Amino acid sequence: MDRTERLVNLLVALLDTERPLTREELRQRVGGYSDDEANFRRNFERDKELLRQMGIPLEVVLPGPSSPEAEAGYRVPRQAYELPDPGLTEEELTALRLAVSAVSFEQAAEGAATSALWKLAAASVSPAPGLGAPRPERAARAEPRPAQGQVPAAGGQRATQDALAVEGAVPLARGGAPLAEVPADTKVATLFAAVAQRRPVRFSYGGLERRVDPWRLSYRQGKWYLAGFDHQRGAERLFRVDRIATEVATEGQPGAFSRPAHVAAGPPPPWRLGDDEEVAVELRVDASQVPFVASLAGPAAVARTEADGSARFRLTVTNRVALRNFVLGFLEHAEVVGPPQVRDDMVSWLRRLVGAEGQP
Amino acid sequence: MTRPSSGRRLERLLAIVPWVVAHDGPPIAEVCQRFGISERELVADLNLLFMCGVYPYTPDSLIEVDIEDGRVWIRFADWFRRPLRLTPLEALALVAAARAVLGLGQAQAAEGEGAGEPRASVGAGRQGARAPQAAGALASALAKLELLVGPSAEEGLDVELGEASPQVLATLQRAVAQRRKVGLEYYSFGRDETTTRVVQPWRVFSSEGQWYLQAWCEKAGGERLFRLDRALSATLLDEAFEPPSGVLPPRTYSARPEDPVVVLDLAPAASWVVERYPHEGVEDRGGGVLRVRLRASSKAWLERLLLRAGPDAKVVSGAEGVAQEAARRLLAVYGL
Repeated sequence: MDRTERLVNLLVALLDTERPLTREELRQRVGGYSDDEANFRRNFERDKELLRQMGIPLEVVLPGPSSPEAEAGYRVPRQAYELPDPGLTEEELTALRLAVSAVSFEQAAEGAATSALWKLAAASVSPAPGLGAPRPERAARAEPRPAQGQVPAAGGQRATQDALAVEGAVPLARGGAPLAEVPADTKVATLFAAVAQRRPVRFSYGGLERRVDPWRLSYRQGKWYLAGFDHQRGAERLFRVDRIATEVATEGQPGAFSRPAHVAAGPPPPWRLGDDEEVAVELRVDASQVPFVASLAGPAAVARTEADGSARFRLTVTNRVALRNFVLGFLEHAEVVGPPQVRDDMVSWLRRLVGAEGQP
Repeated sequence: MTRPSSGRRLERLLAIVPWVVAHDGPPIAEVCQRFGISERELVADLNLLFMCGVYPYTPDSLIEVDIEDGRVWIRFADWFRRPLRLTPLEALALVAAARAVLGLGQAQAAEGEGAGEPRASVGAGRQGARAPQAAGALASALAKLELLVGPSAEEGLDVELGEASPQVLATLQRAVAQRRKVGLEYYSFGRDETTTRVVQPWRVFSSEGQWYLQAWCEKAGGERLFRLDRALSATLLDEAFEPPSGVLPPRTYSARPEDPVVVLDLAPAASWVVERYPHEGVEDRGGGVLRVRLRASSKAWLERLLLRAGPDAKVVSGAEGVAQEAARRLLAVYGL
């Protein structure tokens, strides 16, 4: 028997039952398991694992203390299995298909966008006009056969054009190449589910166990960040998801906390990431580099623009080393104007470099 | 053709069945198109269902599948009246894709209004005014997904595809679509100079949170990859060009064999150089000192590295006097 067929029968048996079924009962009801006990057990474990990976809510009922001899029972509660109808229109479904085709996910999420679209394509209860509507007669209709593998649904061609116009001519790259690549693994997915449902999470970060109310996930400069309330520190914190050292455990009920209206989206600029005493630093920047400094510091940091296009920036600095590295990146096109102590720091750093000549 | 795994096949089947059940004999072609599946695959999957049902598998306890006149009916499959709920990864993929594309549309709409900041992070979600044009089908779809994913799904996620001027991004995308050349004002980080050049834009894409243009550079006479956060402006030209038929995915960085080799000894305080820069080998010299071998792709690149590492990096070979010369130039800026 084909394994997929066995899995369908197993799932039917698990959905069909009110009372949890034992492994042996499932073996009798589901054809296709081996007569050999060891083989059966191994295959049953594998099937269970696959159903769990697919997100099927497999409930395991362990025997109570009164009957320790009894075996574990299994079932799948319908309510937890079934996807509610989000009420998407065909146009909305097409827009989602286009968005998904423009972004390619790396790592574990690679096939997830496709299977998500399968589910949404099936989720609408009310048939759209002209699409899968019940037909009174069985008379053969001359259906133009669509090209295989074409993503947007029938009747979606015009919707496609509209969607593109609406979204400001988002181009679909030629030859199926995506517009953007975004990494996403199960850690990010678990955090996102917790953010969406407002459930606290627990993980290890920076050598400490943390309990966090997760507020927002942001993708910035190629990295995922989590903003949230850190209960150990008693303050808002930003975490780099790739530095979370353990699995993320979700706990508590949905809606366990409320999120503030304004949550920092991404990391602050590097010169703000530190515990140095806060100091307002003024920079002079050549015209050619002004746009780059402005894009990192924000246009509000521009204190003055000169006739030659150069500009003065005022930055609030709590990490002096990061500031020095930032300014040195512009070579002779940027200069620390003040305060004197920060300017002197830069000068003595450069002098040490000059003086280092000759040393191996 | 590779055979899909049992799990993948089952996932697809569990979506197709509820839809067919709800639609009283939809045309097979329509099912195929809706689920992006070939007719052969669909029929093979449906054939599996013929023998499925509940114990004792008498005919009245089996799922019934009829295929007739190019249409398909599925009956007695009440277990599968609804598709399976979304997994966390599926929810993430949907919402992240929608947020990324919506942010892109918003940035371009803002550019169209001629207002706002000269440069913006593109692909961000809620920042700035929500452009009315973007509140289309995708935005309403995203709002409806909260029912499936959770009440904070939309506000709890944002995806920024990279820093770039909206004007530059919009112009380049138009130029790619219309196959027209572009005048690109570009700051070369490696050479530390701003130049204007004519390019034939092939593809605009975002990778690792950074926008890139893959193009033929007429000035250099070769294929080039431009980081769009360093593009100052882009002007659409009238002249058309023919893009090559198969554009290969570009490599973002690779050392050229002609790049000079630089060997440095790094004190512990400069060990970040090993993590941040591509290198060709590290050797532990004891006492926390690492000896690293790098390819210097340009003078400005090497100067930045040495200026930042400062006294914590000692040149072993290949860069004698570079840091000193650069430091003197910078001290001159300070009037010294």
